[in-house]
Amino acid sequence: MFKQATLEERRKYYREEWDIKQVPDFIGNFIENREFGFDHFGRGPNDRYKVFSTLDYLKRFLRSKTPFAAYCSVAYYQKPRRRDGWMKSELVFDVDAKDIPIRTCGCDDVCEICLNEAKEIVGGLIDTLKGDLGLKNMHLIYSGRGYHIRVIDDDVMGLGSDVRSQILKYIVGADVPKDKYDDAAGIYDLQHFSIPLGYPKVFTQRVKYGIFHLTEDSKLDDVNLKLLKDVIKYRNLLEDDEWGLFKNRIGPLRYKKIIKGIASLNMSLVDAKVSIDLKRILRLPSSLHSKVSMRCTEIKNIETFDPFKDAVPKFVWERED
Amino acid sequence: MIPMSFINPLSDEGKQIVRKDGGDLNRIFDENDMLIETVSSIKSQDISDDAYIPRNYVDLVIKRIEWYVEKKSDLKYNFKKFAFLFDAKITKFDVISFYILCQAVGVKFGPNSRESRAIVELQGQLIENRLEELITSERTEITEQIMNNLILQDKIKWTQLADLISSKKISMQDLVLKDGNVILDFEDYLEEFKDEVMHRQPEKMYNLLIGNRVKELIIIKMIMQNTENYIKSVHEQMSTVEPNPTLLKIAGEISEVLSKEIRYYGSGSGDGDVKASPLNVDLLPPCIKHALDGIKSGGRNEVIVLFLTPFLSYARLYPSVFRSNTSLKVSDVDADLKITKNEILPMIHDAADRCSPPLFDDQPQEKVNINAKLGFGMHSELKLQHEGETTWYTPMSCEKVKLNMPGLCKPDETCKGITNPLSYYNRNMRTK
Ligand code: SF4
Ligand SMILES: [Zn+2]
Repeated sequence: MFKQATLEERRKYYREEWDIKQVPDFIGNFIENREFGFDHFGRGPNDRYKVFSTLDYLKRFLRSKTPFAAYCSVAYYQKPRRRDGWMKSELVFDVDAKDIPIRTCGCDDVCEICLNEAKEIVGGLIDTLKGDLGLKNMHLIYSGRGYHIRVIDDDVMGLGSDVRSQILKYIVGADVPKDKYDDAAGIYDLQHFSIPLGYPKVFTQRVKYGIFHLTEDSKLDDVNLKLLKDVIKYRNLLEDDEWGLFKNRIGPLRYKKIIKGIASLNMSLVDAKVSIDLKRILRLPSSLHSKVSMRCTEIKNIETFDPFKDAVPKFVWERED
Repeated sequence: MIPMSFINPLSDEGKQIVRKDGGDLNRIFDENDMLIETVSSIKSQDISDDAYIPRNYVDLVIKRIEWYVEKKSDLKYNFKKFAFLFDAKITKFDVISFYILCQAVGVKFGPNSRESRAIVELQGQLIENRLEELITSERTEITEQIMNNLILQDKIKWTQLADLISSKKISMQDLVLKDGNVILDFEDYLEEFKDEVMHRQPEKMYNLLIGNRVKELIIIKMIMQNTENYIKSVHEQMSTVEPNPTLLKIAGEISEVLSKEIRYYGSGSGDGDVKASPLNVDLLPPCIKHALDGIKSGGRNEVIVLFLTPFLSYARLYPSVFRSNTSLKVSDVDADLKITKNEILPMIHDAADRCSPPLFDDQPQEKVNINAKLGFGMHSELKLQHEGETTWYTPMSCEKVKLNMPGLCKPDETCKGITNPLSYYNRNMRTK
C-alpha cells in the first residue's frame, strides 16, 4: 500500500482480480452518455474523450490496456466524444485526506488517521445532504486517498455551478451565520449555537468538529498561539455543548475570531473546484489507484468500511517486501 | 382586502386588468381624470404642487422611476410626494403602468440592459415598501395568498428556488430546510422541529428565524424573477413584430430619468469616493499584479477573461461600482469607448500574450469572450451597437479568486479586511 503499482501488478489486477460487475450500476446504466479518460503512464489523464457504448467494451479496454488510472465524467452528454450536448451532471463532493485543513496526524501524505478523519467529515456532510437538503440518491466512493460523494438525485443534476457552490458552502459551514435577528418586536442577538435548526445548526456541528481537531500547529487566520491554546484548554466544555460557557472562557471577541477562522478553513474540507465543475472526470469506481496501490471502491456501509481491508487489491498482500 | 395585483401585477388578476382596460397604447398619453381624482383623494399624498400628481399612464410610469431614483439617491426624497404609490386605490392604474414600463424596456433595451435591471430592482423595492405600509394582519394575509398563488404545491422544495439561489437573490443559508423542504408555516415548523424547540419559546424562534420575512423574501424575489422573465419575453417577440413607436418613445424617457440617478452618484458626496482616473499600476493588489505578469500554468482563460477583464475595466472606468450600487454600461462612463480601446484592452491583451502558451495562440475565441465580459456581446469587434447583449461583469470577490484561481491570491497587509480586489485598489488610491 502507498507504494506505486508496477505494470505487472496492474496487469494482474485487471486481468485476474477486477470484474466488470464491480463497476456500479449508476455508472454502467448510462455508460454511453459518459466521457471516459485514462492515464496510461502515470502523468495525468491525457487519453480523454473516450466513449464506450457497452460495459463489455469497457471491460475489454481495461483488460488489454491496464491503465495507470481510469476516470469517467460526472456529466452526461448527448455526444460524449466531443463533450457536447451537456445533459446533466452528478453533484460531487471530493474530500481528499491530504487536503483536510485541520488534521491531527501531521503526516506528509495520507495515513490511517487522516483517512479516518476524512471519513468522519464525509459522514457529517452526508447527514446534511440528506437531512437538510433532502437528497436521497447518493453513492459514496473511496477514491484511494479520500472520498467522493456522488449525488444523482434528478432535482440537483441539472443545477449550475453557482447553486452548487452555495450547496457546498452550506454543507461545510463556510460562513459564520448572522447573529442578529429581528421580528416585529425588535432586534435580538442569537448565537449560532443557540439555534437548533437550519444552517446555524450545521455550522455549529462543523465548528465543533473543527475545534476538537485543532492542534497547536493549526494555522488559522487571525488566531494566535495563545488563543489556540486556550481553545484547546477549554474545548472539553463543548463535549456537553456548553457553548455559552466556552464562549465566556474564551471571551466574545476572541470567540468571533476562532469561529471565523474555522469557517474559512471549512471551505477547504471539500475540493470546491470539483464540486462546481460540471465537466469533471472522476476516478472510476473499481479501477486501480496505481500511485497508492489501492482500489477505488464503492462503499456500501460507511460504518464498517475499512480502506485497509476493503480497498486493498490482492497483489499488495502478495508483495514480497 | 388588498388586491393581489397591487403586490403582484403579473398575477392572473393583474393580467385581467390589462386585458380589460389597458389595451390601447394610443391613449396612454391622454389625461386620465379617474387617475387624477384617485391620487388626489389619497390623504397622505402631498398635492400642493400639480406636478406631484400623475396625469396619465405615462406620467405614472415616470413617477415610478422618479421614486426609485430619488429614494436611492436619498438627496431629496420626500415620501409625501409619492404616497399614492403605496395606496391600493391606485391598483388598476398601477398594474397598467407596470406593463407599459416592462414593455417599453423590453422593446428597446432587452433583458440584459441596465434599464431592465433597474426596473426589476425597482419592482422589488416597491413591493417591499408596499408590504411595509400594510397593517400586520393584511400583510400576513396577502403574503400568504400570493405565496399560494405563486407556488402551487403544499410544500416548496429548495430546488424550486434554484434560479433565485443561483442569481444570489436568495441565500440558501437564510432558508430553514428539512428533508429538502423549505419550512415556512408555523405548523410545519412545529411538526418538524418539536424536539429541538420545545423548551425554547418555539413561537419566538419561529418569528425570528422564519416568520413572515422569509415568505415575503421569497415572493418578492419570485416576482422580481417573473418581471425579468416578462421583459425577456417581450424582447424575444421583437424579432417577429415591429417595435411600437409609442413604447420606444417612453423607453427613451425612462432611460433619461434613470440616468439622473447616475448623476447623483457621479457628483460624489465628498466621502472619499474614488473617481475614475488612469490606472496606477503600483497600487494594484497582489493578485492583479500576478495576473498581469501572465499565467504560466493552467487556468489562463479564467484569469484573463473572468478576473482581469472586469477588474481592469472597473478600476479604470467605474471604481466606485460597489459603493454606488448602480449598474452602468461601459459607454455610460466611456462614451466613445476610447479609454476602453486604447488603455484597457491593450493591458488585457498584453497579459494574455504573457501567458504560456500565449492565450490567443491556441484560443483565439477568448478575444470575443473578453468583449462579452465588457458587455458588448459575442463579437470580435467592440461596437456600441452590440452593447447590452451581455452584461459588464463586475470584479470578482477575493473569496471567488481564492476558490477558483489557485495561487493567484497572495495577500499582503492591505488585503486585511478587504473582500474585493477592487476595494484594495480604491483604498490605496484614497490614501496614496
Ligand atoms: S486578498 Fe483579495 S485583493 Fe488581496 S491578493 Fe487576495 S484576492 Fe487579491
Ligand atoms: Zn495523515
